[in-house]
Amino acid sequence: MKATWMACVGFMSALSVMASHTGVLGADQQEVPQTGFTWKDGAEVYTKICALCHETSVGPILRGRELDPLYIRLIVRNGSRAMPAFRASEIDDHSLEQLSEYVSKSAGAK
Amino acid sequence: MASKYIALPNGVSEKIFDTAVKEFRGVLGEANVLVSAEQLAPYTKTMMPVSETNHTPSAAIMATTVEQIQKIVAICNKYKVPIWTISTGKNLGYGSAAPAERGQVVLDLHRMNRILEVDSDLCYALVEPGVTYRQLYDYFQEHQLPLWLSLPAPSAIAGPTGNTLDRGVGYTPYGEHFMNACGMEVVLANGEVLRTGMGSLPKSNTWQAFKWGYGPYLDGIFTQSNYGIVTKFGFWLQPAPPVYKPFMIQYQDEDDVVEIVEIMRPMRLNGVIPNSGVIAHALYEAGVKAKRSDYVSGPGSISDEAVRKLVRDHHMGIWNVTAALYGTQEQVDVNWKIVTEAFGKSGKATFITEQEAGDDPQFGYRAVLMRGGMDMREFNLYNWRGGGGSLWFAPVSQARGSETLKQMRLAKGILAKYGLDYTGEFIVGMRDMHHIIDMLYDRTDPAMTKAAYQCFDELISTFSAEGYGSYRTNTAFMDKVAHTYGPVQRHVHKMLKKALDPNGILAPGKSGIR
Ligand SMILES: Cc1cc2nc3c(=O)[nH]c(=O)nc-3n(C[C@H](O)[C@H](O)[C@H](O)COP(=O)(O)OP(=O)(O)OC[C@H]3O[C@@H](n4cnc5c(N)ncnc54)[C@H](O)[C@@H]3O)c2cc1C
Repeated sequence: MKATWMACVGFMSALSVMASHTGVLGADQQEVPQTGFTWKDGAEVYTKICALCHETSVGPILRGRELDPLYIRLIVRNGSRAMPAFRASEIDDHSLEQLSEYVSKSAGAK
Repeated sequence: MASKYIALPNGVSEKIFDTAVKEFRGVLGEANVLVSAEQLAPYTKTMMPVSETNHTPSAAIMATTVEQIQKIVAICNKYKVPIWTISTGKNLGYGSAAPAERGQVVLDLHRMNRILEVDSDLCYALVEPGVTYRQLYDYFQEHQLPLWLSLPAPSAIAGPTGNTLDRGVGYTPYGEHFMNACGMEVVLANGEVLRTGMGSLPKSNTWQAFKWGYGPYLDGIFTQSNYGIVTKFGFWLQPAPPVYKPFMIQYQDEDDVVEIVEIMRPMRLNGVIPNSGVIAHALYEAGVKAKRSDYVSGPGSISDEAVRKLVRDHHMGIWNVTAALYGTQEQVDVNWKIVTEAFGKSGKATFITEQEAGDDPQFGYRAVLMRGGMDMREFNLYNWRGGGGSLWFAPVSQARGSETLKQMRLAKGILAKYGLDYTGEFIVGMRDMHHIIDMLYDRTDPAMTKAAYQCFDELISTFSAEGYGSYRTNTAFMDKVAHTYGPVQRHVHKMLKKALDPNGILAPGKSGIR
């Protein structure tokens, strides 16, 4: 038991060291050009943002309704009543396009 | 001739602004300087009962590096252009991503979003401002790090930097977020880059381990303020406990809040209940299970009788206490015994654990938040009445039963005058409570919107007259709340502002400071 736990701790520390070297640390304050987070595709945006309300009865179900992609994009950028608006800094134009296609074409949950 | 901008900064001509925009583009590139109405729409939407024209930005600019931000402040100083900084920009119910004053340029740092360091031995993270809680949560999962976040209810879409800079709260043992902040990097108005605490020492490896550094502690002056632009943010993480036991305790009378608080305070102080649990009124939780229109017809606030029917119909308490135990099985068992004995004495409490709750959504969303998970079901608040209007009224209360009851009654009476419901909860600190009321109103109804404004104004006036101050407020009421804290504090804030930002380019108006 103990050995496993120790091995596990060793692994974690290594990870944190690795992580620290990927970042901008140290006293020189130089920013190393390195990209931040970007979305993989529309499905990822849907799962990680939209689904938290639109699959939990907070907001209406969107999938399986063949909603107009343009309408989706408009609502995402402008919000609607209590639904927050999402900026291009959060969901970039390209990802929003993918998201609206994804939602529009996806089948509804049975 | 119509302006090419939807708004201009106060006292800045279109010609001067053209030059500033051109220079912003030179630093950030064309695509990262937004000026059209369509592009700025998401920076204009708020939930407040004031015209959006009061909070329309002139532009939004997206920076990703410290050097870019240094250049931007130089441009702003040159042309006296004010910028309103946001990190993840989801300050919903407090002003969202819109600036405090019409014409300010929003400096949007959401794309500056690298996770710079996660240390699972010392349990801390260092992030850039645009990092969301979701990003961190996924990072921990992906790397199988046994670390837990503490986060506000908008979890997935908000982030630790913005939340903590506005001194927000979460629901785990690390729920008082600024208490767990450790080390910041700040770009000052003159372009200097300050690392607070141990971060100022070259080669230091204790920036995220020790908060205080040497000399006056500075981190506090960069929260709820406009003295700098935070570009890196360190904070502490909770080691994942072996056992997690969320629970709910329901009481059926408004006056019972006295008993609840008197029982809970000693257990918060001695650590038996380690997290910032919540004492939520039925109306705060109602949207998860019901619609207001099922219980109220016509104008006016909901009656006590209707609330009693609501709780009977949906297995709720008039007060719903949610908290949790964290630790080994033995620790949790002992503490659960202490909790049940203390709350069990009067015979008024109903205990609900995961077993009894099953898939109850009210229990469910609270249980996820108290372990720092992704859950936005609290947004059901907005399904209770509908119409998208929300203002958080957030006075601080002592953690004393008689005080919480007094504040609840005071708020309920004022809200009722304006036909609004008491949608309130107490977030339980050790000696204090954040009394949080989501003032819900229908923003599509002009009369109700006007009433909401007046009601909020009266809440601030009446509470402050009783000695109750707000811990935070929305961008429409910042001056009013600043005023309640008296002239000396305002004067000190102003002197600091003058010293650190003589041209007043950083977020003029934040917390009433100009
Ligand atoms: C249903 C619902 C539930 C909520 N629950 C909670 C809750 O449980 N707890 C809670 O605290 N809040 C809660 N909120 C309010 C709000 O949504 C959160 O506090 C949210 O975390 C704030 O948005 P953000 O994290 O994106 O911060 P941002 O909007 O990015 O920042 C907040 C403010 O901090 C300042 N700021 C941001 N970045 C910088 C920077 N880099 N430098 C200098 N100043 C900066 C600005 O003044 C900005 O307006 C809730 C809102 C809703 C609608």
